[in-house]
Amino acid sequence: MRRLLLFAAAVSVAVSSTALAHHSYAATYDVTREVKLEGKLVQFVYRNPHSFVHVMAADDKGIPQRWAVEWSGTTQLGNSGVTKETLKVGDEVIIMGRPSRVPGEYRALMLTLKRPSDGFAWGSAGQTVD
Amino acid sequence: MKKRFLALAGAALLVTPLAAQPPRPANPTDIAGEWTLTNNEEDTTAQPPLGDYLGIPFNAAGRQRADTTAESIWGTPEYQCRPHSAPHQWRGLGGARILKEQDPLTRDVRAYHVQFMRSLDWPIFMDNRPHPPAWAPHSWTGFSTGQWIGNTLKVTTTHLKDGYLKRGGPQTSDMYSMTDYITRHDEILTIVTVVDDPVYQDEPYVESTTYTIDLTSNVAMETCNGSSFAENGGTDRHHVPHFLPGQNTALTEWLKKDDWIPVEPTRGGVNTTYPEYKSGATKVPASRTAVPPEKEIAAQSPRDGQVHVMPVQGNIYMLVADGINITVSMGADGVMLVNTGSAAMSEKVLAAVNQLAASAVTPPAPNTCFGANCPNAWGWASPYMNAVINSPAPPKPIRYIVNTSASPEHVGGNEKLASAGFFPRGGGFGSAVSNVGREASIVAHENVLNRLSTPSAPNSRPVPASAQPTDTYFDEFHKLPEYFNGEAVILYGAAGANTDGDSLVFFRHSEVISAGNLLSTISYPVIEVDKGGSIQGVIDGLNRILDLAVAEYRGQGGTWIVPGRGRLSDTADVASYRNMVTIVRDRVKDLIGKGMTLQQVKAAKPTMDFDGRYATAAAGEWTADRFVEAVYRSLQEKK
Repeated sequence: MRRLLLFAAAVSVAVSSTALAHHSYAATYDVTREVKLEGKLVQFVYRNPHSFVHVMAADDKGIPQRWAVEWSGTTQLGNSGVTKETLKVGDEVIIMGRPSRVPGEYRALMLTLKRPSDGFAWGSAGQTVD
Repeated sequence: MKKRFLALAGAALLVTPLAAQPPRPANPTDIAGEWTLTNNEEDTTAQPPLGDYLGIPFNAAGRQRADTTAESIWGTPEYQCRPHSAPHQWRGLGGARILKEQDPLTRDVRAYHVQFMRSLDWPIFMDNRPHPPAWAPHSWTGFSTGQWIGNTLKVTTTHLKDGYLKRGGPQTSDMYSMTDYITRHDEILTIVTVVDDPVYQDEPYVESTTYTIDLTSNVAMETCNGSSFAENGGTDRHHVPHFLPGQNTALTEWLKKDDWIPVEPTRGGVNTTYPEYKSGATKVPASRTAVPPEKEIAAQSPRDGQVHVMPVQGNIYMLVADGINITVSMGADGVMLVNTGSAAMSEKVLAAVNQLAASAVTPPAPNTCFGANCPNAWGWASPYMNAVINSPAPPKPIRYIVNTSASPEHVGGNEKLASAGFFPRGGGFGSAVSNVGREASIVAHENVLNRLSTPSAPNSRPVPASAQPTDTYFDEFHKLPEYFNGEAVILYGAAGANTDGDSLVFFRHSEVISAGNLLSTISYPVIEVDKGGSIQGVIDGLNRILDLAVAEYRGQGGTWIVPGRGRLSDTADVASYRNMVTIVRDRVKDLIGKGMTLQQVKAAKPTMDFDGRYATAAAGEWTADRFVEAVYRSLQEKK
């Protein structure tokens, strides 16, 4: 406690650069692993605080599951040229993502998204979810 | 400890001794303005790594709660639009705006309002108003009052919902209080925050944050478009993410990079927060949290022999009758009671209902129209004269009583209160039969009638016929056939929850759900397996509530839920309770899967991190042991 009081009384020189997520990405996703999801887009939720892409893709046992892939909020996506019209239900997509830390969850954090039909790609040029 | 902290904080931050300061300076420092977050003693990302509990005076329960919390919980429908928890708000993105609300006549500051990008307006009342009673709802911002101590504004906040100290694991219970010390030094604003969580901490947790005035900033408001689907994938909207004890193996992942930090202090604990810890001493000064949780939890359901009235929403009031909650619908059609409390309290309950009906439905009102052409003037009458000489019509009587279960604490007042009521069944031939319709209708699931009409023990008697349900249902739900007090009232069967005859009652226009024994903010759910109750039935019932209820904004308010015992709740509170019950089910199921006996399961303490909240003396005889046994038995019977 006394140690904390010293902290409290002192003025720290560290500069805070708060992140945007209302939850912690590092705590939500296993940042040491990647998962590849290949399948049909069934829902595109373009919204704040984060957008979501739902895709029907196989799990590690080959069974089709509804995956929810977390993406950036509308401002960040808009700045990288992604609008609510960019993706359509039925699009065949290939997603690389960070899987959830919770066993059995079909959730991932977007790393890259590709749509082979027209070559659309996000993430390959350095975009990240923030 | 708290006194010691205050003294030290005063010396460090206020410079001038506290005793020398007047209680309210003539010209207190102006803290209003737009402020930019400058720094704090945490890392620079405000996203501490998973498993970093450095400096947190966790007890064992707090540590386990943090270890087993999955951040994916933020993807569930009830969590998506929550603001940051109160201890973290000062550290969120976007700065802070502090506004003054002044009395236009005296120019006194009645309240400060603090706003962040991801928050609700946080009022700090400066007018010496009391904090609400313990059975009042909790919110994200809580209820705050301010007091000047020299040039420091001391803000005391109670009635906070459960949340987190930091993102990514360290949780708080809903029994914590928060004290902020806000001091302005020229263009710098220093906030020292003391979080006192008696359930998860051995001592208050202290953090500080620094802001700088910024005349050009404008705190934005971030919109949130939550949705009713879970963000965690799959198709189960009731999925509750969590780790089983020991399952979260990533807690020390961050130490691979910061390998100079030993593991032990990263697990938190009060001894790690003292300088003596660094020198190897394991003994620290005896200390404890400032507030005993048992007393605070019990205060939500006071066994004081009194009836306390809390207006809820629309037609609905909550009576706290010697700790047992009764939901009341009050209006032009009369009175409906959901449950009647204990027999011993029925006289006082009836008096409270009559007083409420007189004041709420037919209050004395001044005349507002003069002359013969006023609305509702009958014939050659002067409404002005009528208003002066007439007494108001008496309120309508109790028409309905709904019993959500056969529990004695909910049906004890049936006889007395039903006999004081009136349900019009007569007319035609019916009127020739004595006493037809001379009592209130008692509505319940038919298994409630089965239990109340059958002796509970070989030498006991059933409850009197006049206390038994008169109108029963057996289906998934039961609608009252017509509006009551201007709204639909629907009973949803939760058979197999606490017993085989539970119901929850939805007042569809007032947006209030009376949950009966499905929800208690002072104990684990009472599950009577011998009477058909089960852990899965309780979870299903709580999920039913969450499916029906809608939050007003940012995941709180909206549909109110009256628990069988404890404080008035909303969807966020029900979600937390549902999460707890689901987590315990999953843990017990896992232990059963490992072949453990009941005694072994009990010894494994699957409720350990929740016992400080739901298994205190306030819970009475419904101990953690009995709850675990009920969970175990109902899961075994399911097999």
